[in-house]
Amino acid sequence: MTTRLQKAALLCYLTDRLVANGSWCGETHIQKSTFFLQEEADLPTEFEFILYKHGPFSFDLRSELTSMRADGLLLLEPQYPYGSSYATTENGRELQKRFPKTIDRFRLRMEFIAQTLGPKNVAELEQLATALYMMRKHPNKSSDRIAAEINEVKPHVSVPEAKRAVPQVEEIVAKLKALQ
Amino acid sequence: MYCGLLLDPLCPPAMKPFKLYQFDLVARMKNSHEIRDAIHVFIRLDYDEVKVLNCIWFQRLRNIHQLALSYLVYPGATHKRFEHSLGAMELAGRIFDVVTNPENVTDEIRRLVPEITRENTRAYWRRVVRVGALCHDIGHLPFSHAAEHALLPAGWSHEKIGMDILLSPEMRTILNEMTPPVRAEDVAKVALGPKKAGSLRFSNWEAILSEIIVGDAFGADRIDYLLRDSHHIGVAYGRFDHYRLIDTLRVLKSPTSGEPVIGVEEGGLHSAEALLLARYMMYTQVYFHAARRIYDIHLQEFLTQWLPEGKFPTDITKLIEITDNEVTAALLKAARDKDAIGHDAARRITTREHFRVVYQRNPTDIAINPEAGTAVYQALRQQFGNEHFRRDAYKEKAGPPDFPVLARDGRCHSSMLMSDTLRQLPVVAVDYVFVSPEMRQECEVWLENNRGDIIRRKEEEQ
Repeated sequence: MTTRLQKAALLCYLTDRLVANGSWCGETHIQKSTFFLQEEADLPTEFEFILYKHGPFSFDLRSELTSMRADGLLLLEPQYPYGSSYATTENGRELQKRFPKTIDRFRLRMEFIAQTLGPKNVAELEQLATALYMMRKHPNKSSDRIAAEINEVKPHVSVPEAKRAVPQVEEIVAKLKALQ
Repeated sequence: MYCGLLLDPLCPPAMKPFKLYQFDLVARMKNSHEIRDAIHVFIRLDYDEVKVLNCIWFQRLRNIHQLALSYLVYPGATHKRFEHSLGAMELAGRIFDVVTNPENVTDEIRRLVPEITRENTRAYWRRVVRVGALCHDIGHLPFSHAAEHALLPAGWSHEKIGMDILLSPEMRTILNEMTPPVRAEDVAKVALGPKKAGSLRFSNWEAILSEIIVGDAFGADRIDYLLRDSHHIGVAYGRFDHYRLIDTLRVLKSPTSGEPVIGVEEGGLHSAEALLLARYMMYTQVYFHAARRIYDIHLQEFLTQWLPEGKFPTDITKLIEITDNEVTAALLKAARDKDAIGHDAARRITTREHFRVVYQRNPTDIAINPEAGTAVYQALRQQFGNEHFRRDAYKEKAGPPDFPVLARDGRCHSSMLMSDTLRQLPVVAVDYVFVSPEMRQECEVWLENNRGDIIRRKEEEQ
């Protein structure tokens, strides 16, 4: 069973890798990256995700990020023009050193997700994460049906955009599986 | 009319004459009903809304304290969920009127949320929002949040019970007889919001309506409870200029996600800061006051022993029979009789012999070990025995106060860029370890001599 501090160490590592890969690392980056890693790479974070305004979203993960700020493991930095970015503190980096085995188990997969999702903007993240959500919910539906479902729940994501997102997600998932 | 009211299945027999003269007669004679209120002066309800007010589930809130046993710490804290719910309805209506006023809606928002200024459905949604706010606490257990999580079966909450009440045949009848008829599902959705009704799908419009009621930043629920609680308790922490704030609320496009959410005009930013500071102060000084928290724990201990099978019923027809009054009567009786079930917990509450703080979270210890509270609690229990200690740990769950601010030049920015105050707002976090009064002195000495070692014992992989 993963302890709360092990989960916090994984989230600190993910935050560091997102920043290192050029992400401005807003909450959406952490939310969507964690969603991919938890659902497709067995990251043992056990957050409950629901379909919310920006696609799959976990209120539990939001609480954990706030909790980590309270504990001085993460901090918020202003990020023009978006709002605020997450960054790890010295204590957050120290925490990672205490869980080398846990982080090693997921290092490659987290690096891959950080490289792939980190530089994307919120709209792109929403499209990809919503596509993954729908593909998991309807594993037997065709790509066209999945795209239609995405468009139905997110009318601002056009059907062509949704259709482009589905094969991208398939590719990400395949690469994640190959790294296990 | 009198005979008709006597046959009203929602009216308990004891209340019928009272109900007739206090509410229905007056309400039927005129189209609106005014209620005097300590915070909003007058709260007005129309005849249809009075029917909701009169239902047994809403009347039950007259007997549920807003702040549980806080009146043992702050004697003025005797107000109930009833008046808070009325206040939330009043504010939700005001916020709805401001954010849907066509003069306050840009073309861009109209495109993203076409329902916002659609005249033919406006009256319907205004009604849904007001009734949703009125009923947002309708499923509360006795003593509000004091013992909710431990005393309900897994997967249950007061919101889920509230949804059962709103979707019950009796409530559906009341809502369906309104003008225009209201769908119970719509009321339940906006009253709970996406956080508590995650299984339901929310459109942009529905998400905005639920933000009006239960939103983290500017929800009517929050605005009312801060103002009302500080008024009754006698502290100034919870006050802020809510008139200015509400007047400047707008539906804006989030600069982060591009989605429509509730934000504020630049002129109202300081009022928004004041609200969020008020919230921080009220949480740290009132809601998480150490004595208040230990009373909740003792109450929970009493209820665990007193309730059948240690849990509250989730069947709404049974829950209606239990309010603070029934629990208080049982608690006072148990405190007087040393053989009664739950005597020890009841006695500690009524005689103020509650457990005392022996350790509390502090920045120095957290910097060494984020789980310092857990370490101290476990060490004390190991040294002196489990029965002498209680723990209460809580951390804020909401994200950063990030909402759009409409600048005077017409651009939208994140509040986190516009406000130094909001960027610096601390996260509410408390962690208390309590000890029985009999053991207090011995434990304090022991902890003083061992605290450093206990906190330095970190969880670590080899």
